[in-house]
Amino acid sequence: MADHHVIIENLVKTYPGAQKPSVDHVSFSLPRGEMLALLGPSGCGKTTILRMIAGLIVPTSGAIRLDGRDVSSIPVYKRNMGMVFQAYALFPHMSVAENISFGLEMRKVGRAEREERVRKALDLVKLAGFGERKVSQLSGGQQQRAAIARSLVIEPELLLLDEPLSNLDAKLRDEMRDEIRDIQARTGVTAIFVTHDQDEALSMADRLAVMSAGRLEQIGTPREIFDRPQTDFVASFIGAGTFFEGKVAGPGVAAVDGLPPLRFVGEAAVGSPVRLMVRPHRLLLAGEHGQPNSFTGVVEHIVYRGQILTLSVRCGSRLLQADLPTHAGVLPQKGDQVTLTVAPEDVTLIGREAA
Amino acid sequence: MSAAVTAPAAGAPAASRGILLLLLLPGLVALVVTFLLPLLWLFRASFASSAVGTLSGGDWTSEAYTTVLFDPFYWRVAWNTLVLGFNVAVFAVILSYPIALFLARTQSRFRGVLTALAVAPLLTSSVVRTYGWMVIFGDRGVINSTLQALSLTDGVIRLTNNSLGATVALIEILMPYAILAMLSGFGRLNVQLEEAAAMLGANRLRVFTRIVLPLSLPGVLTAALLVFVLAISSFVTPRLMGGGRVFVLGTEVFNEATVTLNWPLAAALSVMLLVLFSSIILLYQRALRALEV
Amino acid sequence: MQNTSMLGRVAWNTLITLLYLFLLAPIVIVFIISFDTRQYLAFPPESFSFGSYVKVFENAKFISAFWRSLAIGAIVGIVSVSAGMLLSLSLVRYKFRGKAAVNFLILAPFLVPHIVLAVGVMLVIAPIGLLDSYPGIVLAHLGITIPYTVRTITMSLMAVDTRVEEAALVHGASPAMVFWRITLPLVRPGLIAGAVIAFLISFDEATISLFIVSVKASTLPTEIYHYLEYSTDPQIAALSVILILISIGVVVAVERLVGLRRAI
Repeated sequence: MADHHVIIENLVKTYPGAQKPSVDHVSFSLPRGEMLALLGPSGCGKTTILRMIAGLIVPTSGAIRLDGRDVSSIPVYKRNMGMVFQAYALFPHMSVAENISFGLEMRKVGRAEREERVRKALDLVKLAGFGERKVSQLSGGQQQRAAIARSLVIEPELLLLDEPLSNLDAKLRDEMRDEIRDIQARTGVTAIFVTHDQDEALSMADRLAVMSAGRLEQIGTPREIFDRPQTDFVASFIGAGTFFEGKVAGPGVAAVDGLPPLRFVGEAAVGSPVRLMVRPHRLLLAGEHGQPNSFTGVVEHIVYRGQILTLSVRCGSRLLQADLPTHAGVLPQKGDQVTLTVAPEDVTLIGREAA
Repeated sequence: MSAAVTAPAAGAPAASRGILLLLLLPGLVALVVTFLLPLLWLFRASFASSAVGTLSGGDWTSEAYTTVLFDPFYWRVAWNTLVLGFNVAVFAVILSYPIALFLARTQSRFRGVLTALAVAPLLTSSVVRTYGWMVIFGDRGVINSTLQALSLTDGVIRLTNNSLGATVALIEILMPYAILAMLSGFGRLNVQLEEAAAMLGANRLRVFTRIVLPLSLPGVLTAALLVFVLAISSFVTPRLMGGGRVFVLGTEVFNEATVTLNWPLAAALSVMLLVLFSSIILLYQRALRALEV
Repeated sequence: MQNTSMLGRVAWNTLITLLYLFLLAPIVIVFIISFDTRQYLAFPPESFSFGSYVKVFENAKFISAFWRSLAIGAIVGIVSVSAGMLLSLSLVRYKFRGKAAVNFLILAPFLVPHIVLAVGVMLVIAPIGLLDSYPGIVLAHLGITIPYTVRTITMSLMAVDTRVEEAALVHGASPAMVFWRITLPLVRPGLIAGAVIAFLISFDEATISLFIVSVKASTLPTEIYHYLEYSTDPQIAALSVILILISIGVVVAVERLVGLRRAI
C-alpha cells in the first residue's frame, strides 16, 4: 500500500454552510498503471473527490499523495494532472492541434517538440489529420478523443476522467469504452474515472470504488464487487438480485421466512441474523424437487430481453427474479409452475468476506 | 466583503478578496463619481440659495421649491409636460404596435432586415432626426411646399414653433424604443396559439381580442412607460421644434441651468422630474403585477 | 370569403408600409435635402449637387467638433469597456456581500432621465473647473455608457463555460494565463460590442453634452444643435447624412468582424 503511486488519505470535503460533509473520510490507493472507477449515484461525492485530486477544489482535510508526496497544497496548474471533462471542455476558439498543444505551451515546451508531441497524441487517439479542424467541426466521439489527447500529451502524473462516456450515444459508448481502456493500457498512465454507470465501471476498471452519501462503501475488483458485495448498498446498487433476511440455523444453513432453508457458503455464527442475496442469473431451472436450495412457484410475470428471459416467480410470500438464457430449450410460460435452484456458493452473504 | 471563487484552489480567500476589490474599484469609482454623487449633489443643490452661476454652500433653504410651487408658470410647464408625454406615449404605442406585431409574426426572410430598419433610427442622433422633422414641418418644408404646389392652401400652415411639431417629432423619434420594448414583450405570443384558437372556432377578430391582445398587453405597457418617461425628460426636440415657444420641464431645466444660471432652481426642477419619473415607474410595476395575476 | 381575406392582407401590408415610411421619413428627407445648396431650407431641392457636403468639409467648426467627438467616443468606449469588464468579472465570478447593491448601482442609471443626470454632473464638475473640458464630458458620458457595457459583457461572460477555464487550469495554465488565453478571447465579441455601443452613445449624445460643453470641448451633436437654433440650411442635412453613414459603417464593420447580433 505504502508504495502505491496514488494514495488518498482520510479525504474530507465539507462545503461552507453544509450540514454533512460531501466527502467523508475517504481513503484508497492505486498502484502505478491501474485504472480505478469511482462509482456511485449522483451526489455521492465521487466528482468532488476527482476535483480535489485535480486541485480544482480544496479539501477540508486529508491528504492526496503522489509517490508519497502530499500534493494537496500544490495549486491546480502545477499539479501536472490530465483531465477529461464530462462535456470535454475543449477550447472553442482554438483548433484541435492548438487545444492539444496548450498544455505544452504552458510548460514552455519548444515549438518543434510541441508539434512532434501533438502529432503523436493525434495518432494515439486516431485523429491524425484532424489537427487543423475547429472544435465545432468534430463529432462527439472525435471531441472525446481530442480531449483525451489534450490531457495525455502533457504526460500527466494521473489521468482523471469525469463521466467520460455520458455524452455519447449507446453505440459510440461501447467503442470509446474499449478505446479508452486500450489507450490507458498502451500509455500505462494511472487513471481514475468517475461514473454512475455500473456497466461502464465493471467493464473498464481494474478496480472499483463504490461510493454512497460521501462514504466509500467498498473497493475491489469488478468480480469482488459484483459477486461479494460487502454492504447492502453495494449489493443493491450493482446488478439486480433477490434479498433474503434470515437467521443462521446451522453451519452454512439459514432459516428464511416463507422458504425452505437456504444453504450458503461462508462463516456465520449460529443464531446470528444474516442478509443473503441471489443474482437473477444464478437461479437455474431444475428438473426435479429435492435438490438443496430449490424453490417451487408459479411464473407471475415474464419479460423477454433478447438473450435472456426475466421471470418473476411467486414462491409463497416471496417473488424471486431469475434470468434464463433464451436458448435453454423449452421456456416457461406465464402461469407455469417451475422449480428454481441455486448453488450454495452462488448465495452471497452480504457484509462478510468470501470464505 | 467575504469572497468565494469558483476557480483556483491556489487563490486563498485573502488573495481573492484583494482581487475582487481590484475588479470592483475602477467601475464603482466611475459610477459613484458619474452617477451617485451627481444625484446626491443635485438633491443638496436644490436646497441651496440661488446665486448666478454658483452654489452658495452651507445653508439649507427651500427657496427654489417655493418658487416652483407658487409660480403658476411652473404649474403650466408641469401640465404641458404631462400632456406632451401622454400624447406621445399613446400615439407612439398605437403606431408601433402594428409594426411590432408584424415583425413578431412574419415568416419573411427579410425579417432581420426589416427589424434592423425599424430600430436603425436609434443609431442616429436625436438632433439629426429632429432636424429631419424641421425640414418636413418647416414653413417652406415638405408639407407646406406640397400643399402650396397642389394649391390646397395659400398661406403657410404653422407646424413648427408649437407643440404639434414637437409631439409628432417625438412620436417618431421614440417609436423604435416602443417597437423594441414590444418585441421583447411579445415573447409569449406564438402562431400556434392563434392556430389553436382558430381551430376551436374563433374568427380573426376574436383571435385578436381574446388571444393576441391579452398576451401582448405587458409588452404594450412597457413600451408606453418607456416612451412616456423618455418624452417627459426630453428637451432637444421640444426646444428645436418648439423654437423656444414650447415650455416643458426639460426645456426649463436647460434654460435655468445654462441660460439664466439659476442652479438651485434647475436642481429643484430636476428633482421634481425625478420624482414624477419614479412615481410613474412605481405605478407601472403595480399595473404589470395586476396584469399578471 | 377569399376576397375579404385578400383585401385584409392588402390593407394590412399598406398600413405597415405607411408606418415604416413615417418612421424613416426624417432620415429620407434629410438625405434628399442634403443635395440642395441654397442658404435656406426649402423643398423640393432645386438642383442636385454635392455643394452642401463641400461646405461641411470647409466648416472648421464642424470638422474640429467631429474629431473631438471621435476622440471622446473612443476614450469613452475604451474606459467603459475596461471598467465594465472588471465589474462583470466580479459580478459573474464572485459571490460577495453587497453584490445586490453593486448590481443596483449598475442598473440605476437606466432609471434616471438623462437630463436629470446632466444637471447633477454639471453641478458636480462645475466647481472643480471641468465644465467644457475633455475629462468633464468623458466623465458625464461614462455614467450612461458603463451600464450598457456591463450588461453586454456580463452576458457574454455568462456564456463562457467555466469548465473550459478549469480545463486550462488543470492542464497547466496559471489563473492569469487562463484569463489571457481563454477568458478574454472568448468574451472578445462582447467587449467589441460593448465598446461600439458605448462609442455610438457618446458619439450621438446631445442632452448631457449640452449641459457640460460649450466651446472648447463641444461635440458634433452640440455644434449641430447650436447651429440649428439659428439656421436650418442644407449643410446640416449633408452633415447628418455623413453622421448616419458613419454610424451604419461602424455597425456593419463590427457585424462583419465579430457578429454583433451574437454578442448583444
